[in-house]
Amino acid sequence: MTALTPSLPPTLAPGRSVRKRPSLLRRWAQPFVDPAVFDYWVAHINRLWTWDRALARVVERKEAAAGSVTLLLQPNRHWQGFTPGQHLNLSVEIEGRRVTRSYSLSDVPRPDGRLAVTVQQIDGGLMSTHLCTQTQVGDVLEIGPAFGDLVLPATLQGSYLLLAAGSGITPLMSMTRALAAQQMPVPLSLVYWVKTAEQACFVPELQALAERHPNFTFQLIATQQGGRRIDAEQLAPILAAAASGLHVLACGPGGFAAQARELLAARAASFKAEAFTPAVPLNTDSKHQVQVELRRSGRTLEVASGMSLLAALEAQGLRPQSGCRMGICHSCVCTKHEGLAEDMNTGERCSEPNSAIRICVSRACTDLSLDL
Amino acid sequence: MSKSLTRNLSHDELEKFGAEIEALRARTVADLGVRDARYIRNIFKTVRWTEVIGRAALMIGAFLPMPWMIGFWIVGALSLGLSKILDNMELGHNVIHGQFDWMGDPKFQGKSFEWDIVGTSDNWRKTHNFRHHTYTNIHGLDDDIGYGLLRLFPEQKWQPLALIQPIVAVFFALFFQWGVAIQNLPKGGYFGKHGPAARRELKLAGRKISHQLIKDYLIFPALAGPGFLVVLTGNLVANMLRNVWTYTIIFCGHFTTEVETFHRNVLKNETRAHWYWRQIRGSSNLAGGFVLNTLSGNLSHQIEHHLFPDVPANRYVEMAPAVRDICRRYGVHYNTGSLSKQFAQVIWRIVRHSFPSRPSRARVASLQS
Repeated sequence: MTALTPSLPPTLAPGRSVRKRPSLLRRWAQPFVDPAVFDYWVAHINRLWTWDRALARVVERKEAAAGSVTLLLQPNRHWQGFTPGQHLNLSVEIEGRRVTRSYSLSDVPRPDGRLAVTVQQIDGGLMSTHLCTQTQVGDVLEIGPAFGDLVLPATLQGSYLLLAAGSGITPLMSMTRALAAQQMPVPLSLVYWVKTAEQACFVPELQALAERHPNFTFQLIATQQGGRRIDAEQLAPILAAAASGLHVLACGPGGFAAQARELLAARAASFKAEAFTPAVPLNTDSKHQVQVELRRSGRTLEVASGMSLLAALEAQGLRPQSGCRMGICHSCVCTKHEGLAEDMNTGERCSEPNSAIRICVSRACTDLSLDL
Repeated sequence: MSKSLTRNLSHDELEKFGAEIEALRARTVADLGVRDARYIRNIFKTVRWTEVIGRAALMIGAFLPMPWMIGFWIVGALSLGLSKILDNMELGHNVIHGQFDWMGDPKFQGKSFEWDIVGTSDNWRKTHNFRHHTYTNIHGLDDDIGYGLLRLFPEQKWQPLALIQPIVAVFFALFFQWGVAIQNLPKGGYFGKHGPAARRELKLAGRKISHQLIKDYLIFPALAGPGFLVVLTGNLVANMLRNVWTYTIIFCGHFTTEVETFHRNVLKNETRAHWYWRQIRGSSNLAGGFVLNTLSGNLSHQIEHHLFPDVPANRYVEMAPAVRDICRRYGVHYNTGSLSKQFAQVIWRIVRHSFPSRPSRARVASLQS
């Protein structure tokens, strides 16, 4: 639902983008096709047609709760599918700039291939505001492959506890729907924390599921209307009822995920959590060490945050492509997948995922992931 | 040329001058948005439509009776030439500089953009974006000074072969894209320590060249069947129109009478402000309106381009008055003139320095300052 903030969790590393082998015709045509030119011309016939980019058209838009909308998306043939609990990157252009955020898919994979994304409008949130107020049926968005490993195992054993806080409901909703479709083969409990009950999504559906399936219990806790934040007392009955092998999956803000981990990690058979804001405020000064992940070479290095990335990488014996070393020639431009980088010439900071940065004049304010 | 038209600046003055240039850049960059995105997309569309109109006109013309055939052939070659000019200059050159990286649109990323010309964009990024823009007009470092083929400044060594350079220059203009593609390739060293890298570069260059040749001189002519030659000659002329035009614009940018060149000594402890100062002294503008600006890829604002190579080129026209005002206040000569005036100066350089020439004493002094 909410945008998973870009600079964050390691669980957001793109995985599972296994591409189908291209057809013979495509392989023959490849050298003579400029994808940008191909896309430009075929878009005159159908805006979803592209050479290789995954796009999706908004086919339905409805209010999910106060301040939330659910967008139903029809992807084109380049979308490769997902597993309940995974997210995808959505990109739109705002003020001439592409903005990308991750959203969880709230539905199960549907026979018509459509994708449901529920977006909660965040105060000052560039993307969520755009999606909630500007995006209309018929608009075309760019989508990335599904990723994330907060998913149910292939074979289900024991009982399952899902803990959602705020917009963390979406991946867990997708799993709940997937299990409901299988007639709840294992005992399942879902506890869902929100600030006010009006902000809660999917409640009628969850209540109906709880009535229909004795194996499924659902509990809604509104913290600003008398409910308490996650604590041991709330979870005690569930822990007591689970005979053996309780598997916990939690999704919510960083503080919530950390608290859930503390309460349950030691007592559950397995514990997986995913957070969408950092648990601790990030240190962005220039006097600490940060982890720089070089995703293409599969390495992670520790560098000083005050040094330019180019100098820091060279100090560790690497030789990334570079030129003028003063920010003008763009030879050293590389894609920053996630993390906060600062332009040392202008002080401008960039947290946008998948944006081009010049490593000769950029430093890492936080842990970074680069396409090197 | 005699003495430098630019007065010397004290260290403090130079730093203040640099700060004003940087403030102008910051103001412009902060304002980038929808307008610039729309601009580059419109250029992209114009490239696509002029290309299709050009190729279609050539193809249709090939099957028409005589006077019509010539009419279609001319329209086709002009339209395709225009498409290639816009693709190379206002679209390709600017996008490859990373001017539109901020948009985040994969189509306009400097790192991956490829253009309709025989040279590879990868190679261009190295020799142009890096060497030419960093070491602008420094003898021995900026290969664009005469492209290793022409003697344009008295500091370049004279050889008897220079006597025929006015003729060489004409052929260079007609085949400019080849000159650029070949100039950028590693000269030897294919078997030494960096052999594999050099061989790889050669292989990629070969692939790009054959791709371009097959497209313009085999596939599209073959699609016209019996009209093979009509399409082939149209494509040839379109490529040459582009060659001559880009040559003219690029030569006017750094080879007019009043531009200065530098000794590599200037690089010793060069500050950013001095780099800006050198960029202005080594570049010359073309005065003109929207048509000249667009067709030249805004290299009519060569000075602004060299100060801000990664600022969207459609902004140069707005930045120019501010740059000019800063130059006036700091006594930096702002070299501009009409296309005919500037190109006449370039031709004079080509002719004059085909004969032995020596740098004047005043000029030597300014070079070393």
